[in-house]
Amino acid sequence: MDSTLKISRFAACLQVFSLTLRRQFFSRQTIVVGVLLLLALVITIIWAIPWPWSPEPRTGEQLAGQILSLLYMGFLLPIVSLGYASSAISSERTGQTLVYLLSTSIPRPLIYLSQFAAVLLLTLGITLGCLTSLCVTVGMDSIAVLREFTPVVALATVCYVALFMLFSAWIRRATFLALAYALMIETLSANIPGVVKRITVSFYANSWLYDYSTFGLEPNIPAYDPVAGGTAMWVLIAASLGFLALGMWVFSRKEYE
Amino acid sequence: MTLESPPTAESSSLVEVRHVSKWFGPLMALNDISLEIGPGITGLIGPNGAGKTTLLKLLTGQSKPTLGEIRICGHEAWLAKAKAHVGFCPYGDATWDELSGRRLVRVTAGLHGFTGDEAERRTESVLETVGMSDRADRPVRTYSKGMRQRIKLCQALIHDPDLLVLDEPLNGIDPVGREELNELFLRLARAGKAVLISSHILNEMDELADHILFVCRGKLLASGSLETIRDLLDDYPLKVHVSCESPRQIASPLMALESVKSVSVQPPEDLFLEVQNPNRFYAEFGEFATTHDIQLHRLKATDTSAEAVFDYLMERASRPE
Repeated sequence: MDSTLKISRFAACLQVFSLTLRRQFFSRQTIVVGVLLLLALVITIIWAIPWPWSPEPRTGEQLAGQILSLLYMGFLLPIVSLGYASSAISSERTGQTLVYLLSTSIPRPLIYLSQFAAVLLLTLGITLGCLTSLCVTVGMDSIAVLREFTPVVALATVCYVALFMLFSAWIRRATFLALAYALMIETLSANIPGVVKRITVSFYANSWLYDYSTFGLEPNIPAYDPVAGGTAMWVLIAASLGFLALGMWVFSRKEYE
Repeated sequence: MTLESPPTAESSSLVEVRHVSKWFGPLMALNDISLEIGPGITGLIGPNGAGKTTLLKLLTGQSKPTLGEIRICGHEAWLAKAKAHVGFCPYGDATWDELSGRRLVRVTAGLHGFTGDEAERRTESVLETVGMSDRADRPVRTYSKGMRQRIKLCQALIHDPDLLVLDEPLNGIDPVGREELNELFLRLARAGKAVLISSHILNEMDELADHILFVCRGKLLASGSLETIRDLLDDYPLKVHVSCESPRQIASPLMALESVKSVSVQPPEDLFLEVQNPNRFYAEFGEFATTHDIQLHRLKATDTSAEAVFDYLMERASRPE
C-alpha cells in the first residue's frame, strides 16, 4: 500500500456511521416500530376523545400518568431501543457482512462507537419524535409535558441503546436476549415491590420523573421507594457510559465467526 | 513431518507465522504452524476441516492465535495497522447486497478512509480491473455468483493491499472468467503483491501458484514450490513416462535399478515407470542411459500435479508413525 496516500480515520468512521444508519433505517425493525408507533398514536387519539361517559377534556396530568408513563415509558421506549440497538452488530454478524467492517483498518472500538452513534441518532429521532407526536395529539399542556419528559426520555434512550448494543456485541441472537430482558426485567420486576427493580433502567427514569414532575406523578405500586431525581439522572449517565465502555471492550476482543 | 523448502538468503516475507496453534474449546484447529508468505501467488490447499479457513481468519485478523504470533508487514495481524496491508475476499456470497455494485465498492473505499475524488478514482479503477464497470449500477442482489465474486474482489483490492487473501475466489466463475481472474492474480503477483489463494481446485494451483501450502488436520504438511515439495519427498512414488527407440529391450535392465519399482511397456516406443525416489532415479537413469546408449525421445514425470502430491501427502500423514 502506498503509505504516502492520505487516508482519514474520521472519514472511515463516518462511513461506518452512515452505512449503519442507512441499513438500520431501511430494515424490518423500522416497519415494526412504525406499526407500534401508529398503534400508540391511535390509542392516544381514542383516549383523548371526550366520550359521553367521560366528557371532560383530558389534562396534561392524565397524559403524563396514563399514556406517557405507562404506555410510552413502560413499553414503547424499550421496544424501539431494542429493535435497533440489539440488531446493530448481530444483524451484520448473522448476515455475514461483519467481516467487511472488521477487515478495515479502523480500530474495533471506533467501529463500535460509530455504530453506536448511528443507532443512537436513529433511536433518539424516533423516540423523541414519537413523544412529540403523542403530546401534540392531545394538545392540553403538551409543551409542558414535553419539556418534562424530553430529558428523561433522551437519557433513558441512551442507556437502553448502550445496554442493547452490548447484548448485540456479546451474542449472536441478541434480539431474543434483549426482548427477554425488556419483558422480564424491565416490565415485570420494575413493577413489583422490593429492591430488584433497582437494576432496571425504567426505575431510574421513573424516579427522575416522580421527583421533578410538576404533574404530580406518583408510583402506582406500594413500596416503590424511588431514588432522588439527581441520583437517578447520574445513575443513568454512569450506566450508559459503563454499558458503552463494556460494549467497546467486548467488541474489540471478541472473535466473531 | 513437515516439509519446507529451505529459506532463501534474503527474506522478503510480508507474512510471518510463528508456531501458531489455535484451539476452539477441546478442538485443535491449527497445530504449531510456522510459515512465511512473500510476493507471488501462494496456494493454500487442504480438505474440508483441515484448518484453511481458521488460518485465513488468523491472517486477516478476524481471530487471534491461542499460541504463537502472526505478523503482517511487521504488525501483529489482529491490530488495525496490519489490516491496512491486507485485502480479504471471504468465502460465501454475503455482502451489503441492497447496494449497487458501484455504491458497494465506493462504500468500501470510504471504510478504508478514502474520500472524494480519490475514492471515486479507486472505485472506477478496481471495477475496471475486474471487468465490472459496465454492470456496476445494478443492485448486488441481482448479480450472479460470478459477478458477486468479482465485486468482492473489488472490495478486497480497493485499498491496494500488499497481501491479498482470497478464500475460494474462483468458485462459481465460468471458464472465461477464471482465465481473466487468473491473469489478474498473476498481474498482481508480478506487481510485487502477495496473493494467498485457498482452493479445492488443485489443478488450477499447478499453473497459478509459485508456492503451495498443504494443510491437513491442522498441520502444515508441506510448503514450497510443487517441484521442491516433490523433491523433498524421498519416497514419493513418481510416475515417469519414457519414450525411446527400443523400449522392450531396456525394460528388463531398468527393473534392476534400485529406484524403479515397476515398468510397463506400451509399444512402439513408450515405457511407464513407477519410481520410488525421484532424485535417486534421475541420477541412476542418467548413468543408465549413457551406459546403454539409449536414444531418448522423451522423459517426463506424469503425476507431479498438486493433486497427486497432495493425495500422497494425505496418505502419508495417515500412516501410523
